[in-house]
Order: sequence, then C-alpha cells, then structure tokens
Amino acid sequence: MFRHNTLRYAVLVLLASAALFQAFTAEYFGLEILTEILILAMLVLALDIVAGFGGMVSLCHGALMGVGAYAYALLSTTAGIAPPVAMVGAVALTGAIAWAIGAICSRSHGIYFIMATLAFGQMAYSYVFEAPIFGGDDGLGGIARLDLSFVGIDLNDSRSFALFCLVVLGAIYGVSVLILRSGLGRSLTGVMHNEQRMRALGLTVWRVKADVFGLSGMIAGLAGVLAAQHIMYISPGLLSWTVSGEALVVVILGGLGTLVGPLVGAAAFVVLKHELSAVTTYWHLVVGVILIAVVMSRANGIFGWIEARWGDRIERRLSDTTRKPEAKEVLGDA
Amino acid sequence: MLETRNLDKSFGAVHVTRNVSLKLERGERRIILGPNGAGKTTLFNQLVGELTPDSGSVHLAGEDVTALPVAKRARRGLSRSYQKNTLFDGLTVEENLGLATAVHTGNATQLWSDSLAKPEVREIVNEVAEQVNLMPYIHAKVSEISYGVRRQLEVGVALATRPLVLLMDEPTSGVGPEMSKGFHDLLNNLPRDLTMLIIEHDMDLAFDVADTITVLNYGEVVFDGLPEAARGSKLLKDIYLGNWEDA
Repeated sequence: MFRHNTLRYAVLVLLASAALFQAFTAEYFGLEILTEILILAMLVLALDIVAGFGGMVSLCHGALMGVGAYAYALLSTTAGIAPPVAMVGAVALTGAIAWAIGAICSRSHGIYFIMATLAFGQMAYSYVFEAPIFGGDDGLGGIARLDLSFVGIDLNDSRSFALFCLVVLGAIYGVSVLILRSGLGRSLTGVMHNEQRMRALGLTVWRVKADVFGLSGMIAGLAGVLAAQHIMYISPGLLSWTVSGEALVVVILGGLGTLVGPLVGAAAFVVLKHELSAVTTYWHLVVGVILIAVVMSRANGIFGWIEARWGDRIERRLSDTTRKPEAKEVLGDA
Repeated sequence: MLETRNLDKSFGAVHVTRNVSLKLERGERRIILGPNGAGKTTLFNQLVGELTPDSGSVHLAGEDVTALPVAKRARRGLSRSYQKNTLFDGLTVEENLGLATAVHTGNATQLWSDSLAKPEVREIVNEVAEQVNLMPYIHAKVSEISYGVRRQLEVGVALATRPLVLLMDEPTSGVGPEMSKGFHDLLNNLPRDLTMLIIEHDMDLAFDVADTITVLNYGEVVFDGLPEAARGSKLLKDIYLGNWEDA
C-alpha cells in the first residue's frame, strides 16, 4: 500500500521547485533537457505502478509509449483528427492494448512474465518498422503540438511546452497515488505479497493485473503522445526494447515501488546522460557502474537509500511532539 | 452445506485421497484427525480447488463446484486458513483483514475509492478483529506481532470473507499451550451457523470444539462419528501410535 511520508513530500516539493526554476530560467537547451526528464518521468511512473506495486516487471512499456506516439501521429496527421481528440484516442488505444497484454501475461510470473512482455514489445516494434503506414525506418514527421492558443498558451514555445509537461506529470502522479490507494491498488499490493491467498479469498487475480496494466499503459501512452509532440517526429526506435530497458534501469536507479524514486531516477539519468555524453561517448559504461553499485548496495535505489537512512529518523523526530503509542508498546512482549 | 462424493487423488503411485465422502450440515463443526501424511491438507486443497481430484465431486450448498476455480469457490462461500501463515507481511492487521473484506463486499477492484475507507468494509474488519481478539493489534504490522497472534490473524483473514464454510488447517499449529486454550474460546465463540471443517492435532481442542470427528489414514476415512465414540476408540489410538497395521 502506497503511503506518503514527510521525506517523500519534501523530495516532491524539491523536485517540483527545481523543475519550475529550470522552466522559468533555462534557455532552449536546458528546457529540452527538462522536457526529456518530464516525459521519461511519466514513463517510469507507469512502469513503477506495475513493477514496484504489482511485481510485474515489464519490458514492453517502451513499446506502449511508442504505440501512444504513433497512434497520436496517425490520428492527428494522416486521419486529420483534432489533436485533443487524437490524444484521447491514442491514450485509450494504448490502454486497451496494454490491458490485453496484461490479461495474457498475468498468467506468467518472474522471468516468464518479463519474456512475454518483451515478446509483445518486439512484435510491436517489428510491425511498426515493417508496415508502410508507419513510415518504416523513416518514421513520421510533421506532428502537431496541442493548440492551447484559446487560453493564450503557445505550446510551440519550448518553455510553455515544458511547463505543460510538468502539469501533466503532476496530474499523472496524483492519479497514480489515487490508483494505488484505491481498492484496486490495495488488491494489487495484496497480489504482489501473496497471489495464492488473494485468489483463495475470491479475487480474480488476472483481472486485477490486467486492469492495472491497462491503466499503466494509458500513462505510458500519454508519455508517448507528449514525446511525439515534443520532437514532432517519431521513429520505430521509440518502440525498441532498449527504451523499456532504460526505463527499468531508471526505476531501479531511483527506487522501485516508491513512486518518488523513479522521478529522482529520471532526473538523475537524463542529467547524467547529457553531462557524461559531453565528455565521453562511453557514458553508458558509467551509468552501468552506478547501476551495479546501487544494486550491489542492496538499497532500493537512490531514493530508497535516502529513505532507509533518514526516512524513519525524520518521522520519529516529527512524531516526538505529537506522539502516539507505537505498536510495540501496545503489544508488550507479543 | 459441504459434501464430497468419492473424492480420489493420486500423485503418481502414491494414493493420497481414497474415495473420500463427507457430508457437513449447516453449522456443523467437524474435526479431521489423522497422522502426518494421511492426506488431510491434500483433501483441503481439493475442497477449495487448489488441486483437482482424479475423480469424485465437491458440492457447496447443493451446487457442484468441482469444476470451479479457487476464486469462484471462495466467492460462493468457501474460505480457508493455512497451516503455514500466508499473510500479507508488509501490511497491518487492519489492512490484512481489509483485503479479504474488500473482496467479499465487491470493493476490491474499485478504482476511485479506498476500499478500507468504506463503511461496510470497516464494519466487517472491526467485527472480525473482535471475533478473533485482534483489536489490540489492529494497527500493528504483521512483522510486529507474535507468531500466535499471526495464527489468529490467519483465521481472521479467512473469516473476513464471511464464508458459509470455513476450512482451517491446523489453526493452533506451532502455538503454545496457553494460546492454544485461547483458540478453544475463539472457535467456540464463532457464529453457530458457520460450518467449520478443521484439521487439528491438538486432541483437547478437537474434542472441545467438534460436533463430529473424521479420521483419515493413508487417504482413507477410517472413522466418522461423534467425539464420544472417537474418545475411547482403540483404532484412533493405534493410528496415532503408529500401530495402524495391527488395528
């Protein structure tokens, strides 16, 4: 069950403040990096919901993001549908596809689940790569951004688009928290802890997994729509399994099953990538070493490490003033 | 309320359930006795659908549920607790009970509302916590409570689905004599219309709680009757002392 604590709120405020500061002060290149972070953060939130709270480690979330991007591109350019409607359509379509993948893969666990999602992702990649309607290797260009001129916002301006992405990310975070705190989210946590028992209690486990996978897919699809609007061009590379793998690295780097951690991971990953790639073309090696260090330290990512070290200490200090008896005191020597 | 007809199950050459026929009336409390390896838990697994019998059938409230999967049987009112605790360790006692109650009340898949905040869920959670003496621990995490209290919670989680038939696999397994006595009261205080089938090795508890006793040996029903008849049974003593061949 997802819970906020003081540290999580503090990190959220810190991240939001840093993003706002960057959005209002950065020049073009800084705004592009910020937008890249925000879109990646949406994707990794989607992945954290299924992997961190449902134990469903997916290697098709990159493909789902790509489905959202291509669906938006086709609907808004080829089909000539208005961008807001195309966005809703793309997100709904990605959610439906993700639901179907979740329903099929929910019967498998562990490495088999990972391989099944990888297969779905690669199928989508191959199809998009080969089918002429998707532009093949050349991809699709001329993708329009959402038109918000009726409220005086020009999303073709990098600053406005970055702020728009920040607002969308905030909304996605809020929705993610609501999902995880809902009956469905609690059941998902129960399934991750003990699937057999949840089934014995009468829960249709595959349905819960599929529903959450579908919702997560909708978030990934929305990230794809914004990625397409950001670059205004998409190519099959967006659906490659390496995008899913990179998202998984970010989630693990930030802190699996914390929601806040993946946001930290997304920021750290993109900044590292840009800073290191300016110095060496082998920046992946450095990221790899950091990932190995994080995994070997047995901490739950960067944020998990911070939370384990200071989270409880902060809570104890804060609760000292308005103190309630702790469970151990109530239980005595139980 | 619960009936098995000629239930049979083998694992390769090992015949673990032999033609078992049981019939439990509504509100009946039956204890299943038998030495280790008698097929008691395997029988439970077939009753709830975790194992498929080779032949025979399971009927719940008059309906043949043999072909139904675990979750559907549970939703029809068949609930079980396990010999080894199968709790949700990272969650509190309240959340453990809440998960089970949410499934029963249809709140387990609701998207925009917290199942544990629903009045109907809270009511059942509190009621069950009272029934199994868990109120003092309601906000404690499973990892913070003692083994004996976890056994109570194990039963509580099964009870929170408000079953017609409750199957309990050695509810006092691993608990001390003091706590075991507490279980006598706990089980005796459960609603009288609840049908219970209990696997138990604790003879005191068995004779205190049971309306009827069934003894299994090598997967076969070798005794089915009243506790009074079982109490002086040489057969039962022989089985538990390992002299079955001579019995």
